[in-house]
Amino acid sequence: MNVQPVARDTATAAFFAGTARGVFLLRRSARSGEIVPPSAVQDSVGNTDLDWVEASGRGRVVSWAFVPQRAADSDTPLELTIGVVELDEGPWWWTQLIDVDRDNIVEGLRVRAVFTKSGPAETDEYVPVFAPDEPLSAAASNTVSVAS
Amino acid sequence: MTELGKVYGKTSSQFAAEATRLAVADAGLLLSDVDGLLISAGVANDVGLELQVDLELRDLKLLTQMQAFGSTAGAMVQFASMAVEAGMAEVVVCVFGDAPLKEGAGAGDAYGAGHRAHSGWTGLQRSTGVVTPNVLYSLAARRHMLRYGTTSEQLGAIAVAQRDWAALNPLAQMRTPITIADHQQSRIISDPFHLFDCCLVSNGGVAVVVSTAERARDLQQPAVDVLGWAQSHPGARSRRDDNFGLVTGAARSGPAAMSMAGVTVDDIDLVEIYDCYTYTALVTLEDYGFCAKGAGGEFVSTPGNIGPAGKLKMNTGGGQLSSYYMWGMTPLSEAVLQARGQAGARQQDRHELVLVSGNGGILDHHSTLILGS
Repeated sequence: MNVQPVARDTATAAFFAGTARGVFLLRRSARSGEIVPPSAVQDSVGNTDLDWVEASGRGRVVSWAFVPQRAADSDTPLELTIGVVELDEGPWWWTQLIDVDRDNIVEGLRVRAVFTKSGPAETDEYVPVFAPDEPLSAAASNTVSVAS
Repeated sequence: MTELGKVYGKTSSQFAAEATRLAVADAGLLLSDVDGLLISAGVANDVGLELQVDLELRDLKLLTQMQAFGSTAGAMVQFASMAVEAGMAEVVVCVFGDAPLKEGAGAGDAYGAGHRAHSGWTGLQRSTGVVTPNVLYSLAARRHMLRYGTTSEQLGAIAVAQRDWAALNPLAQMRTPITIADHQQSRIISDPFHLFDCCLVSNGGVAVVVSTAERARDLQQPAVDVLGWAQSHPGARSRRDDNFGLVTGAARSGPAAMSMAGVTVDDIDLVEIYDCYTYTALVTLEDYGFCAKGAGGEFVSTPGNIGPAGKLKMNTGGGQLSSYYMWGMTPLSEAVLQARGQAGARQQDRHELVLVSGNGGILDHHSTLILGS
């Protein structure tokens, strides 16, 4: 994983407040019920009554690219996987995919958001990247083991 | 056209001014004949309305900057054509100038300044590595591959064919022939894209003069007719069922332009297609109807279809992949040269109908021209 520092501005403040507590926020028109991306300023027919709603943070991979990085301070070649994720609520999200490689990535791969701090400074926000989603059974057994 | 490519020491505005002077003189006109000026610049968007003053153009009846990214050149010709038809102006120059290449810096650094946002939604995308057109277009290409089985080697067939054309074009920056193996071995830019899937970066300027048929008849160059045109701006939906990477604005713009000209794909002699990437040319061919949707990979990789010996005369100057990258002026300039019968060693006997495409943003904007000689 390799993320660069990003700070909030007025438009992104609510979204980053969500990522800081591990929640992926989308927006929904109270009138139409349509769910739109967090950056949207209206729904598809012009309703601007957008509420922030907690999304599942889960989705499926639509497309991906392996992008070599120029590392200034290292001889180790670094490669990022950049992908398009279709969130279960419908909107697409352009993002970094982690824990995937040429052998395990497929169209439709189930993924979930992982929130990572984008830099060391206090103003560096948490950003979502996406990792393969664990099967529900495995996630459930983890929960049990933590509880015991 | 100015000198194009690794040409240093001039600003975008100076290239635009030089291109205007050259195009006006080429037509056998004087700068004082110009009464309309449409201006376009590259990513830096650094050629302003001051170009009028630089060129000492007086009492213009039409002057504006235009911006539809890579579809601008086609759009400028469209608006200029409407202006002269409406009688608003009679001699309209459409000019593009750009100087992204800096001496001593790599082409990969040419457009870096636009990706420095550290806050907001753009900053968030950048934070997680979603940065350059290379990445965004490669995501589109991957989707095409997943849906239709298009392969990197098939994309490479476009790169090879266009390099073969470029070898015939003295204006081209890259004229050494390449093979599919060379394409496959060229370094990864953003997998599935290799270096040879990506356009060049060039400095320079290109201008065309648009006038009425009556005025053009008496000028010193053969007139090129603007027979049909259209644009399409699909509007990114970025949600479930979006056809990102699969279908572009060309699917609407192409048929509309051909309908206006009263022609079909079977009538077209030459196609000059915006090819910021091999994939862009491939998906545009499909959307225009030169092959079926999804069959582009097989079409371009089947011997005898494209390249100088191929049935479809596509990107006859080498395109943006191998000749020069002047946004939409790359396909437009080659189209004009071919339509005028002045393309030298690569001149095609059949050049009565030339289709020109422009593509901008991440497949967000499309323009089509049908030119005739």
